[in-house]
Amino acid sequence: MSAWGAVAGGFVGTVVLTTAMRAASELGLTRMDLPFLLGTALTADRTRAKAVGFVLHFVVGQFFAFVYFGIFVAIGDGGWALGALFGLLHGLFAGSALVSVLLPVIHPHMGTPVSSAADRPLLEPPGFMMINYGQGTPLVTLLAHVAYGAIVGGFISLAS
Amino acid sequence: MRSAGYAPLRDYAAIGDGRTVALVASDGSIDWLCLPDIDAATVFAAVLDATRGGSFRLAPTGRFTTERRYLPETNVLETTFVAEEGVVRLTDAMLLPGDGLAPARELARRVEGLSGRVPMRWRAEPRFVYGSRTPRLGRRGVTPVATDGHQAIALSSWAAGEPTVDDSSISGDFISRQGETALLVLSGADQEPLVLPRRADVESRLEATVAFWRDWAAERAHEGPWRDAVTRSALALKLLIHAPSGAIAAAPTASLPEQIGGERNWDYRFCWVRDSAFTLEALMQLGCPSEADAFFWWLLHASQLTHPRLRVLYRLDGGARAPETELALSGYCDSKPVRVGNGAVDQSQLDVYGDLLQTAWLYGRAANGLDRETGRRLAETADLVCELWRQPDCGIWEVRSEPRHFTHSKMMCWVALDRAVRMADADWLPPSHTARWKAEAARIRDFVETRCWSDELGAYVRSTDSRELDASVLLGALMDYRGAHDPQMIATIDALRRELGRGSLLYRYSGEDGLRGGEGAFLCCSFFLVDALARAGRVDEAAEMMEELIGLANDVGLYAEQIDSETKDFLGNMPQGLVHLSLINAAVSLGKADGA
Repeated sequence: MSAWGAVAGGFVGTVVLTTAMRAASELGLTRMDLPFLLGTALTADRTRAKAVGFVLHFVVGQFFAFVYFGIFVAIGDGGWALGALFGLLHGLFAGSALVSVLLPVIHPHMGTPVSSAADRPLLEPPGFMMINYGQGTPLVTLLAHVAYGAIVGGFISLAS
Repeated sequence: MRSAGYAPLRDYAAIGDGRTVALVASDGSIDWLCLPDIDAATVFAAVLDATRGGSFRLAPTGRFTTERRYLPETNVLETTFVAEEGVVRLTDAMLLPGDGLAPARELARRVEGLSGRVPMRWRAEPRFVYGSRTPRLGRRGVTPVATDGHQAIALSSWAAGEPTVDDSSISGDFISRQGETALLVLSGADQEPLVLPRRADVESRLEATVAFWRDWAAERAHEGPWRDAVTRSALALKLLIHAPSGAIAAAPTASLPEQIGGERNWDYRFCWVRDSAFTLEALMQLGCPSEADAFFWWLLHASQLTHPRLRVLYRLDGGARAPETELALSGYCDSKPVRVGNGAVDQSQLDVYGDLLQTAWLYGRAANGLDRETGRRLAETADLVCELWRQPDCGIWEVRSEPRHFTHSKMMCWVALDRAVRMADADWLPPSHTARWKAEAARIRDFVETRCWSDELGAYVRSTDSRELDASVLLGALMDYRGAHDPQMIATIDALRRELGRGSLLYRYSGEDGLRGGEGAFLCCSFFLVDALARAGRVDEAAEMMEELIGLANDVGLYAEQIDSETKDFLGNMPQGLVHLSLINAAVSLGKADGA
């Protein structure tokens, strides 16, 4: 296992995850737009937000790849299958606690069921597993994260 | 007054934001809205199916009368409801984005109580994808939303009653009291989460939107007796300009019928090459250099994939495919079929080559030339015209009968080669084929003069050896195939008025076109006639017609494609760009003729 594998896996995995989410959006399965969600935390300009959001998403992708790498090292095991399992847990975490609980704390525009647009313009609250962004969002999110995890796990193992 | 749920087409005003357009009836109902763009599927299409199409109604609950206007020199609509209980003012606008985080599309409806206590009711029935989908309705916090696939709308309201959400609609009731203001905002999202706006931001964007339109209108350069009509036409055209690309939609609607109950129902949410020369001329006459620039380069980019051949029309994103399909909607006043997409895209129309080269000529004159690559492409187009002009085609009116040798098409082929020669003489096009272009132009002229002129009728006829007339040959005068002073052109003008005219109105042709039923008088042809008369020096006659035609606009100065010459009811898609373009160009010609 190597850190360079985590770097490469994080990059490729994020490319695949982003592309899968975008394709699902084109197919009408979801309105989830991760770059838009992340970017609007830093700027109110739509175009700039999407660009900034892409960069942030790749940074976050690298961060989680190193989290996977750290756990693999700690337990002395790895591989694409374990990575896929991590991806599933990662997807559940992202769709529940991360977006619904943690993101509203740091995101100035992220709505929650109890927030009010009287104070500032709000992004639509995502709901559990971001289901407010389309009925297909939970499945798409989980599958995309499973793919991400498998890729990260595979790259880390390949580089060993 | 509505009949079977349908408002007269004359009752509609348009609001837009450079991306999409909504039609608002005088009774406060929004009966047409495509999201996210003008050529996307509808959220509201009650104008095409009062039951299934979906609408956003807002009006007093009791009896009322209305007065309407656009706020001066804007595309912001103001409807005043005069009810028994008092008076209420409704302001409708598609908001332009400002600096802060705003919805991707935002339609604001502000209700001001002017007097009394007026019970008001609003009800939004969103029906995505031309009424074919039942939306999922719910709430995000307190805000009602409707979602379907990659699309969603939110309906935020302030002081407009507690919103009620049921299986198919979002609605509310409130009392509009003197001095109080309620606000409803429809926010749209496509492939992204909704943005739920703040009231203060909406109010601020509404003011900024009014200011934008006023500033834009103030920069338009036209003075004269028809200034108001020209300014309104310019604002209507601006609504049709697709901001991301610079393309101009022929109209923001689809399948509004040319005959009530008839089958002549077409989708106009595309950019027609045939309108390009008029578009560029009007934009330059109005002092819109940036819009003219964007349009010209969009046209060249869009046509690059099919070069040197031209499609009849292109999608607003420059795409060359527009497959025609029929929708399961009942149609306006049961006018079926309801079509989206346009089969004319695959037709052969030779006139478009003349329009492209005339457009390039106009642009080149304004820009002091064309670059070498553009010149080379235009020369290849002229070469193609030398090969194509002998073929029959479907003509400017896109007949669905057998192709013919239409007179107007041949005239425009001559225009194409004449402009190619002019541009080569100006050193914008490579000169190597100039002799061929001149020779073929002479052959086309000989063909038109021998095969398309009728001594019996004393006019250019619709197609070779026919006895039918066609108002499109007026473009021969406007595009300098023959000057408007030419005796044959003057004779043709008189024959057209005699055979196709009803007062100031003109029908577009006699004879069959492969479709059942008839149609109304064609408003752009009526303005072509004014233009031709003005150029012919018959200024008083032209001015009288112009006055009558301007009187036929609806209460807010808009026109549909056609008009019933008896009832003056509107027919066809609206607001139609070519009508407003031809109004502008006719007013300019009249101004020039008056000053000459």
